Amino acid sequence: MSALVRLGAAACVAVVQVLLVAGGGLLLLGVMRKTRSRCEGRVGPPVRQPLLDVVKLVSKQRIRPAAASPVFVAGPVVVAATAVLVTAVAPLVTSDPPLARSTDFFAVVLVLLLGSVSLALAALDTATPFGGMGASRATTIGALTEPALLAVVLALSVPARTSNLPALVREGIVDPRVVASPGRILALCAFLVVIVAETGRLPVDNPQTHLELTMIHEAMVLEYSGPDLALVTVGESARLALLLGIFVNLAVPWGVAPGRGAAELAVGSAVLVAKVAIAGIAIATFEVFTAKLRLFRLPEVLAGAFVLALLGVASTLVTR
Amino acid sequence: MNGSVLGLELVPGAAAAAAGALFPGRHRVHLAAGLTVVTCAVAAVAAGAVLRSGHGLVVRASGILPLTGARLDLVPVSAVFVATTAVVAIAACIYWPGYAHHGLSSRTASGVLPIFVTSMLVVAEAGDAVTFLVAWELMAVSSLVLVLADQAGREETRSAAQWYAVMTSAGAAAVVLAVVLVCAHAGALSFATVAARAGGADRLPGGTRDVVLVLALVGFGSKAGMVPLHVWLPKAHPEAPSPVSALMSGAMVNLGIYGIVLVADRLLGGAPSWWWAAVMALGAASALFGAVQASVTSDLKRLLAYSTTDNMGLVLLALGLSGLLATGHETDLAVLALVTALLLVVNHAAFKGCLFLAAGSIQVATGTRELDRLGGLVRRMPATTAVFVVAALAVAAVPPFNGFVGEWLLFESLLRAIESSGVVVAVVAVVAVAALALTGGVSVMAFVKAVGIGALGRPRSAGAAAAREVPRAMVVGAGLLAAACVVLGIAPMLVLPSLERAAASVLGGARPAVLHGGIDVALAGLDGVLAPAWIAVGLALAAAVVVAARDRIGSRRPPRRVAAAWSCGRELQTARMQYTATSFAEPLERVFDDVLRPDRDVTVSHSEESRYFVEKVAYRSTVGDVVETALYRPAVDAVRWWGRQARRLQNGSVHRYLAYALVALLALFVVLA
Amino acid sequence: MSGPSFATALELGAGAVLVCAVLTMWRRSLAAIVRLLALQGVALAAVALVLGLHARDGVLVGVGAVVVVEKGVALPAVLLRVVARDTSSRETAPLVNVPASLVATGALTLLAFAVAGPVVALVPTVAGRLVPLGLATALIGIFAMAVRRRAVSQIVGLLLLDNGIALVAFLATGGFPLVVELGASLDVLLLVVVARVLGTRLHERFGVLDLDELRELHD
Repeated sequence: MSALVRLGAAACVAVVQVLLVAGGGLLLLGVMRKTRSRCEGRVGPPVRQPLLDVVKLVSKQRIRPAAASPVFVAGPVVVAATAVLVTAVAPLVTSDPPLARSTDFFAVVLVLLLGSVSLALAALDTATPFGGMGASRATTIGALTEPALLAVVLALSVPARTSNLPALVREGIVDPRVVASPGRILALCAFLVVIVAETGRLPVDNPQTHLELTMIHEAMVLEYSGPDLALVTVGESARLALLLGIFVNLAVPWGVAPGRGAAELAVGSAVLVAKVAIAGIAIATFEVFTAKLRLFRLPEVLAGAFVLALLGVASTLVTR
Repeated sequence: MNGSVLGLELVPGAAAAAAGALFPGRHRVHLAAGLTVVTCAVAAVAAGAVLRSGHGLVVRASGILPLTGARLDLVPVSAVFVATTAVVAIAACIYWPGYAHHGLSSRTASGVLPIFVTSMLVVAEAGDAVTFLVAWELMAVSSLVLVLADQAGREETRSAAQWYAVMTSAGAAAVVLAVVLVCAHAGALSFATVAARAGGADRLPGGTRDVVLVLALVGFGSKAGMVPLHVWLPKAHPEAPSPVSALMSGAMVNLGIYGIVLVADRLLGGAPSWWWAAVMALGAASALFGAVQASVTSDLKRLLAYSTTDNMGLVLLALGLSGLLATGHETDLAVLALVTALLLVVNHAAFKGCLFLAAGSIQVATGTRELDRLGGLVRRMPATTAVFVVAALAVAAVPPFNGFVGEWLLFESLLRAIESSGVVVAVVAVVAVAALALTGGVSVMAFVKAVGIGALGRPRSAGAAAAREVPRAMVVGAGLLAAACVVLGIAPMLVLPSLERAAASVLGGARPAVLHGGIDVALAGLDGVLAPAWIAVGLALAAAVVVAARDRIGSRRPPRRVAAAWSCGRELQTARMQYTATSFAEPLERVFDDVLRPDRDVTVSHSEESRYFVEKVAYRSTVGDVVETALYRPAVDAVRWWGRQARRLQNGSVHRYLAYALVALLALFVVLA
Repeated sequence: MSGPSFATALELGAGAVLVCAVLTMWRRSLAAIVRLLALQGVALAAVALVLGLHARDGVLVGVGAVVVVEKGVALPAVLLRVVARDTSSRETAPLVNVPASLVATGALTLLAFAVAGPVVALVPTVAGRLVPLGLATALIGIFAMAVRRRAVSQIVGLLLLDNGIALVAFLATGGFPLVVELGASLDVLLLVVVARVLGTRLHERFGVLDLDELRELHD
């Protein structure tokens, strides 16, 4: 009986986290757009606009380009599925998510990579110049982001002696000095750069561009419409919310629920939403003052993140 | 199990060779392939028994080789390589009859292929120096013949074969010297005896040992495609017929790794840390260089060949780490690193064998292996494409395929090496993680390109447009290895305990207790586990949820419509407007400009009326191999120069040649006197 | 200051010195590079202050104060004026491109950790463990001088080297005597002034502060 109860609690946590990240991710987009508009002196669309857009898209007709194969249809599904899987087991609301022992940071990174790969393949499947362009650029950026991200994982894992994500979050709660250690700070700085690159925010990619030639991510998903586009939007915004959620829980681990009780989950959800919203507003404010970088300047940024993370590892060699 | 079963496997091997060479008619391929499969099956069963029990099998056959006889000694670590080779060879033999019309149906080819397979098995099973070296040479020569089997008339093929011949003979010379030096000092030919004496008082003196180690690294490293000795690989792999490429990449290069383990760990009982560090450094260089080159080349099989260098680099990284940890007496961690190396070998055999077979099918169906001329295969040959995609995702190390488990283990071994060893090992491990991370990112690019440009989109040439699905046997052969990728990716614990037993037996770890766990992979002393099965189940569940959500909400929408893609309002959209492999990789090529040194040429010709109108733009970009141009060209040129000088000695006169012989004879007498 | 918080503060200070050095290789804008240098000076001074307060060593605190004034304020101010003069105040095309030099910086840092073992063994204190950070800073300084073209970047490289050496000295020995530190500081200040004069002349002659232009003097 108790096993059944535990299973139910775990499923509850997973559902709460998935709903929170899927819905909250869209609202996060809205918050970031609103922040940007306000900073630029505009009123901007309402915060719930992305949510309304998705609801509208879901009931629209699906259109498939003539040359596309099932890979094209599978792309958004895989993106959304990888985001859902990681969200369900990541330490977001509680530091004891379902399958906590197997939520390995390295595995999380590679599961998310599966999503990026499938979207790039789907873009190439459309047989259009824009699909190819977006896929080529996104994959190049991904090829340079991946090393930085793995270096971040390493820098966080070495002092904790494990790459288990919930353990990394718990470690910060148990011993606050870990959060202030130079290794952690450097790694998290690098992580932030990686998140910006991975989710296509400025200065790496302009999510609001409408000029095909400057698009990266938007060029990849240009052919999607209706429910497929809705899936892409939800999946991508969930990725942003998810990565930011992991980031804030590593940087400021306080307020993460220690268990799976209903009250704890409620408090944990509220704290998570607040933390992620603050992070999102900060990023949006930063974006107001930044211009998009040239594609060939990006290696500099990502190499910087890579080296910062490596310095983080090096500093843990000192302090052990 | 009796040791004689090992000797038994040679019988069908020899029969297959004889049948292939002598049997008339078109059934000789089927016969030879079938008998080779029997050989491999016997070898695989024996290897499986050894791996399960942990006890070796020995057989002596005094009649086969003159003077010493042959001795086969199947210890656990060689069983890993035997099993891997056997599985790849079985897949290649199932595939072979379908491919036979493309150069593998001749008497020579069907006689030599079984010899090649059998000699590879014997290399891994060999229990004494003579058997090992004879098998090694046989393997080298038979593979050389097979490289030439398909298109010996083509200039590229001949050049590739020349490179391969030179590199493989030089490598073999180094291998012979290394093995002979070790055995001569120990005063025994049997590997078991040499290994037993390695730990004792009369171990090899430092200087000789260093020479042996360097020779072994050169000889076996060149076979494993290690930078800077990899140059034959991107030439020979593409030119060889695809089943042979699959065997070379999936099985033969692994034996280079086996050689290093054999000499350094077994025969010498360990090596100094500088040598292991060199292995790691060369491994990291190979991994990076291979990945970057693979991501910019547009020849499908060349891409796979460079990716082989990349993967072998990662194996060397793990192997070097294991040795480094073993010299620091961190036996448990060393076992873990060696298990990682072995798993990477097994994984590589599965996905690279599969990719080469699938590439062969694509080449057969479309008549080209140039990615810029492919595309649209997913509709024309869906089964081959599916197999190709699975293996490509496995190389890209995304879950739920086997490459992912291998990279996770490598990452964890490096992580644990950083945590618990001295500063120097820690620093080396950090550099290794950096190399691993860069390699991983870049090789994803290479395989997104291979699949996305090669199989998806619209066909870029008439050949690709006319492609048909290949015969079922070819799909099954490649599919067998793809299935291995999936199974090993979901349930790695099927093989990991065996690999651990093999690794522990080499390093002398008393209790192989690094790995445990039923479905999950758990490491001793580590807080978390890897749950590949749960990841697979989770992905499937999540995808089901997502699809259900997509179709359930808004289920009253109009049915799906097929429409032309967006092209800025233009009506016409041709296949030539798609991205090609070259343009896809161009951004990355620019990023790695300094490493790749591409040769770019843009010529713009203007219209005669006005130079504001461009008539045509010609763009040519070739990426050569930097190592080849910087290292080998000068050497080749020097050899050529010497050759020209030597030509002066010859004028065709028989008298002069006889005079040379006389002078040489006299000089010899003087020296000896 | 006591145990853990002392160690954390020291780690953060020394870490900041190294991070500033790395970041100077990341940025192209000379003004930003000089500002990073100022920040590094402050971090270095903070290390001295923390060490001084921990050891209740008045002299070291004094040195810290000197370092703040000199490296945090005075030198950057001089350099910023040079930068302000230069019309194209960016490091446009360093000899080694930025990603490669960043990777090299990482490699140099790891190298410093690998070779600093004996020194660390000599000074078995919290501070001693941080010596590789100073060594890495010094190495990065030399590297910067080797690969950067602009005169200002060269001076920055020199100052990175100086800061690295100073950090090693603070951490390994509890700092130079005040007199030595003052003397060294004056030396560096003099050097920067000379370089500035030279830079001004270069600027008048060629219009840019690019050291490759010096080759023309040779012809």
